[in-house]
Amino acid sequence: MPAEELELIQRSLNGDLEAWGEIVARYKEAVFAVALSILRNRADAEDATQDAFLRAYENLRRYDLSRKFSTWLFTVAANVAKNALRKRRRAKDPPVEEVARDPAEEVHADLRLAAVRRAVQALPPDYRTLVFLYYWHGLGVAEIAEVLRIPEGTVKTRLFRARAMIRARLVEEGVIPDAVG
Amino acid sequence: MRWDEVEELVRAALAEEVREGARRLAGLEERVVGELARRPVRRSPWARLREFFRQPVPRWALVGAACALLLGFALGRLTAPKPIPQFAPNLFVIAAPGARQVAVVGDFSAWQPIPLSDPDRDGIWTAVIPLPPGRYEYAFLVDGKWVGQDPLAQEYLRTFGEYVSVRYVGGGRADRSS
Repeated sequence: MPAEELELIQRSLNGDLEAWGEIVARYKEAVFAVALSILRNRADAEDATQDAFLRAYENLRRYDLSRKFSTWLFTVAANVAKNALRKRRRAKDPPVEEVARDPAEEVHADLRLAAVRRAVQALPPDYRTLVFLYYWHGLGVAEIAEVLRIPEGTVKTRLFRARAMIRARLVEEGVIPDAVG
Repeated sequence: MRWDEVEELVRAALAEEVREGARRLAGLEERVVGELARRPVRRSPWARLREFFRQPVPRWALVGAACALLLGFALGRLTAPKPIPQFAPNLFVIAAPGARQVAVVGDFSAWQPIPLSDPDRDGIWTAVIPLPPGRYEYAFLVDGKWVGQDPLAQEYLRTFGEYVSVRYVGGGRADRSS
């Protein structure tokens, strides 16, 4: 852990909220990405991001300094988002936000990028979260296993399946040929 | 299109999605800090104890305190006065060749890092910290990595899945437990 970050955490542990605000500024986008991958709704992801930082601050004494801070923070965020998802399912609210662009706008955009985006959005939630952690956060298999509290073997198999699903969708849309390198 | 190109597109697609959503996050720091500031402060047992002793004292407590004081004087005459605790220099040392930053954290510093130094660059990092007699829990941070087992410690504890070292200052363990 960088010394500067360690100092911010130590100051936060001593009740320095300004230091915690700095941690929030550094990690808010990454935490939001975790929440968005699970909740698939920007407003819910925003709420979950805020809750995750509040929860993390309250539980900061439980953070083990030998672990990577971001991994611990993402674990908290994933738990908060999963709880929000359960509540939403119980309330039977419309869950998934359609974030596809306006078709007219898409004409000017990279069609392949739009297709990939749709393919990722169509993934089942567990797979989508994993794809986010792997491709966006750049986490390794071991770290993903730690964040999602699943065995490393499960991470690997789900990653392979997620890739297969994305590929199938892109073949179906004619973006890539059937056999991809 | 090769699969690694698809992977690049996946990264780009996710980045785009997060970027669009992240516009909502403006001012999140202030909202989080504001919310935490509004919440009641969770105080440590020590803080609560300090506050207890700072509270106005009722009369019965004053009478009780006076009685206790008299009793204390009487008993004090029968026993030898105890020496005032002295701060003794304590050497904290760890071998960490190639390390860039080494610190010791412990209950004596409220787990705030106290830097160790290695002026001759031989990989032996040291700090001398004056401490009154007592039992102290501590660990080293070597480039931010927790090193909980000091070979010079008298005991090890395992908490939160990590080791911490224990050192007794100003006498052996028997002295401390008495």
